[in-house]
Amino acid sequence: MLSQEENDLLTQTKPGTPGGEYFRRYWLPALLASEVPTPDCPPVRIKLLGEDLIAFRDTHGRVGLVDEFCPHRRASLFWGRNEECGLRCVYHGWKFDVTGACVDLPNEPPEYGFESKIRTVAYPTREFGGLIWAYLGPPDRVPELPKLEWARVPASHRYVSKRFQETNYLQAIEGGIDSSHANFLHATVDAFRVTDSYIEKVKSSSNLRAKYHLLDKAPRFTVKKTDYGLVIAVRRNAEEDTYYWRMTQFLLPSHTMIPTQKGHSIHGHCWVPRDDETCCVWTMSWNPEAPLSQADRDTIENETFVHARVEPVTFRPLRNKSNNYGIDRELQRSATMTGIHGFAAQDQALQESMGPVVDRTRERLGTSDTAIIAARRLLLQEIHALQQGQEPQAAQHGDVYWVRSCSLLLNREVEFDAGARELMKAEV
Amino acid sequence: MDLNPAHIVPVTDFSSETLRNVIAHLEISTDFDHLVYREAELDAIWSITGFVLQNEPNLPKRGDIAELHRVAHMAHDLVADRRPAEAAAVLRSFL
Repeated sequence: MLSQEENDLLTQTKPGTPGGEYFRRYWLPALLASEVPTPDCPPVRIKLLGEDLIAFRDTHGRVGLVDEFCPHRRASLFWGRNEECGLRCVYHGWKFDVTGACVDLPNEPPEYGFESKIRTVAYPTREFGGLIWAYLGPPDRVPELPKLEWARVPASHRYVSKRFQETNYLQAIEGGIDSSHANFLHATVDAFRVTDSYIEKVKSSSNLRAKYHLLDKAPRFTVKKTDYGLVIAVRRNAEEDTYYWRMTQFLLPSHTMIPTQKGHSIHGHCWVPRDDETCCVWTMSWNPEAPLSQADRDTIENETFVHARVEPVTFRPLRNKSNNYGIDRELQRSATMTGIHGFAAQDQALQESMGPVVDRTRERLGTSDTAIIAARRLLLQEIHALQQGQEPQAAQHGDVYWVRSCSLLLNREVEFDAGARELMKAEV
Repeated sequence: MDLNPAHIVPVTDFSSETLRNVIAHLEISTDFDHLVYREAELDAIWSITGFVLQNEPNLPKRGDIAELHRVAHMAHDLVADRRPAEAAAVLRSFL
């Protein structure tokens, strides 16, 4: 459980809030590079940490991220003309470059020199891994980009999608690190009931997760604090002399990586606050060694796993609250726990059902919620430390993000951090 | 009693034995991960006592359970504040 004060500290990220200051120490994914594909293309609206912003790619290909509203009369620059290295407000013609400098002020006499005194809010951006990243913090503390493996593989080796979620970012992270929900929310009815046919099917399966989740329903949780955040290790009994381990990564401030079996593609998320009641869910799938396979692409296309199809402008998933996420009650009776297609929609349905900001003073946690407790406590410690003037270490050390999630069998005598050390290293 | 602060105490009830086990682990907990496990255990005690209080209004020892519910909350917040020894003392006061 959390106090109301702690819940507010964790979930509020608008300018001036402690949590908002903390997030403003990191580079954050802001938009897909493909949303501003060419020089002088149309500008797009972005909401980030409670700030309404406009992104545009100028004539030289630089990406600007500026306050949505023109400092003159507060008209939206979304209607602006992206022309000749600047975004021009179509109300009175004021024009701004990617640094926020006013470069033309046609409705004021030039002898006043008014334009040299005017700036709009503008934030630095970087293009990395097919995304435009933004930094909304103090100009003298620009951090390093996180050296995330998915962002450094060739474009053919990864797929990144973006979707809008109607909850606070923390609820979404908590879903990402809560490994115990997978056996229920994402299960088939056969797996949940442990039918004979299901047992036969998984016994011969090369899918270690399916096999060992079935054999041990009471896993043991371990969390380790790291330079980048947390590694959350879940242990299940496997064979007589082995344990099956699954290691989830939580990387500050809001990245996660799903455990994967060696040789399979890896998946992860970054959950970025748009405001206190909505977030942007970034989902990445990547193969460090080869282009994504046709099977990977089919999984993405069919939305069976972590990606979801979205409306092209709003990035709202096609399966959403307004259509009950396409729930099929017959499917729920006969085949899957939810009757909702795809892990992404299943997660979103349940997380949004909790309300935009869940009241954590009213929850009833148990020892299977250890990972959630650890992530909250770590974020609270980081926020408190920043309040006392201690800058977040991970933000300034991009190299610490050079890790992977993994799953494997280990001899019972071997500690997971020793046994999985090599597998948890990124390799690109 | 197997004492290891890096292991989570299974909390399936709020018996004296469970409470003693949690207290003993609180007394030797120092690291971030130890405190997370202790917080999870205290959350579990608070949750179980909360459910009992909510669902069984005519329970004979209701006053004691309400007191444990309150004490578990206090101990939980002390652990969150990285004061496990004080949390152990608070919980021990209930026994």
